[in-house]
Amino acid sequence: MKKEESKISKIKDRVAKLLEKDVSVFIAYERMPFELKDRLTIISSPKEVDKISVSPFMVGSPARMLLEIGGIDDGKIGIIARACDTRAIKQLIKEGKIKRERVYIMGITCGGMVNTRKLRSPRFENGRLYDHDREVHMKDVLYDTCSRCEDPLPVLYDEVFDVFDVFEGVSKADESTEEIEGDREKRWSYWMGEMEKCIRCYACRSACPMCYCTECLVDPINLAVSPFTSAEEKASYPRFLGKTISAEDNLFYHIIRVLHHAGRCADCGECERACPMDIPIRELERKMREVVRDVFGYDDDEIPFLAKLDMIPEGR
Amino acid sequence: MFVYEGEFIKTLAEKLISEDYRVYVPDSRSFIEYEKAKDIPKGKTRKSIKEFLLPQNEVLIRYGKWIEEVPLDREKRALIGVNPCDAKAVTLLDKIYLEGLMDPYYQTRRENTLIVSRNCEPNNYCFCESFGLTPFSTEGSDIFLIEKGERTYIIPVTSRGEKILSSIDGLMNTDVDESSIIVQHNFSRKVNPDIQDELRKKFDDEMWKRISLNCISCGTCTFLCPTCFCFDMLDEGEKEGFRYRAWDSCQFPLYTLESSSHNPRREKWQRLRNRFYDKFLYTVESKGEIFCVGCGRCIEFCPGGIDITEILAEVEK
Repeated sequence: MKKEESKISKIKDRVAKLLEKDVSVFIAYERMPFELKDRLTIISSPKEVDKISVSPFMVGSPARMLLEIGGIDDGKIGIIARACDTRAIKQLIKEGKIKRERVYIMGITCGGMVNTRKLRSPRFENGRLYDHDREVHMKDVLYDTCSRCEDPLPVLYDEVFDVFDVFEGVSKADESTEEIEGDREKRWSYWMGEMEKCIRCYACRSACPMCYCTECLVDPINLAVSPFTSAEEKASYPRFLGKTISAEDNLFYHIIRVLHHAGRCADCGECERACPMDIPIRELERKMREVVRDVFGYDDDEIPFLAKLDMIPEGR
Repeated sequence: MFVYEGEFIKTLAEKLISEDYRVYVPDSRSFIEYEKAKDIPKGKTRKSIKEFLLPQNEVLIRYGKWIEEVPLDREKRALIGVNPCDAKAVTLLDKIYLEGLMDPYYQTRRENTLIVSRNCEPNNYCFCESFGLTPFSTEGSDIFLIEKGERTYIIPVTSRGEKILSSIDGLMNTDVDESSIIVQHNFSRKVNPDIQDELRKKFDDEMWKRISLNCISCGTCTFLCPTCFCFDMLDEGEKEGFRYRAWDSCQFPLYTLESSSHNPRREKWQRLRNRFYDKFLYTVESKGEIFCVGCGRCIEFCPGGIDITEILAEVEK
């Protein structure tokens, strides 16, 4: 833990230095006052760097926040990013949502994030995690997303800080699970059971750095109305899904959402982390990734997948 | 007060089932049918019991070349093992749906739903004490159970609850001192409920913009909240279909979008602010009650890390 603490203080010093000249604001995490959780915050002066927290308890996608504040006029935005965050940033740059030169990416090595929902009364002292008074091994209570992380090293960065010992997730070969590849009947009943739990709060959509559309297909009315939009036009907007919450309609929503992430999902697991009902949404994204890679031979470094689809030769 | 030796919930559930009730007990996520429950865990369910009185989807009419009203839902239901805060929340929903304009759908469900609460074990997110509640509050319940070891102490709260208890065998009268079975809990979180004047002053404060940076405009807080009561009306099907109401959330940008395209709460910070004002000011002015029972769900499950107790403390500053 001593190593981590000194690394984190180095990060703080570095952020303070960058804020003096090169970077106008920094997206980082801060510890919440009453619980073991780090949430996103914006650091705008070197004086504030002490509130920066880097820990296994960070929630929220900094890439999503980058997208949100990315519109500020001048200066660079600094961002403390884990591997999955850098994958999201890379994709957003590829999609033209962020300019590479406007971002200063401070990558950190990551050992996975702890799912505190698995604990009743979590406590973190001297680098050790306790639930009530019982010590818990962090590796046992990581988010499933993290314990199956494909690549815990940042893919795009201006500098990297080796903060945590990286946790090697399972390899790609072990990816498929019963729920996705198993018997058809069983799969259907499993997913119907999961989809029944969905309350359509759209936390998965809102938390996702890739779900940046201002209008979403599943919204019951369209945001793009103006005083000049005629009643007829408004009535003719396609409405794909209302607010019915049957398992089938929920599945429809989730599948559409995942399809729109083809070749884009950064595999950060924010959707699953945000879900108040613990629905394993990311399993669908994971399958999508696999299809995009294996069936279409897509590589993350290529042009956006959906743009490439036109060029795929027939019969592949 | 009565006392019962043995598994009282089982006895009560079976008795109610024999009287044509559908009985629901808590699972970790929501209340499920008693027959399907493996055990009855303590603690809060993710979803509150409001879905039994105000379902997330409720069909009102069916239409085609005809219009057909869907009959009111008169099924007798019993919810056993409700948390005291959720039971109290029902009394708040009553103020919305039964005072002034009477909502027949809610009213019918309410009249046919028996609420049996039991003492709860608060977690780190709870702050019900701030609103005068405790893990032993009986408000909103028909029957209240206090589980102590192998024994269950039973308090009839309403005449309806009393009537049901009178038909159960094995109940013994007891004159045990209530204070001897009540366990005090130290709540780490608290809010000041007398915050209305401060809220009036802070409406245009910069703090709302800053705080809302962490908000992602999802509906988690409002959908999990036991007292949030907003719904939207929609038609499903063009020539033939049904009209239904569905939960809506003031955190969604579409909630306040007017057909002129004007949106009075276009910005995220305006929507987030509204949640606090609606719970701690507007409802106090219109209904005389704070619409928060301190269950802490909105804190525990907020994907962005927004904490209602922290924000109210800041309002007070």
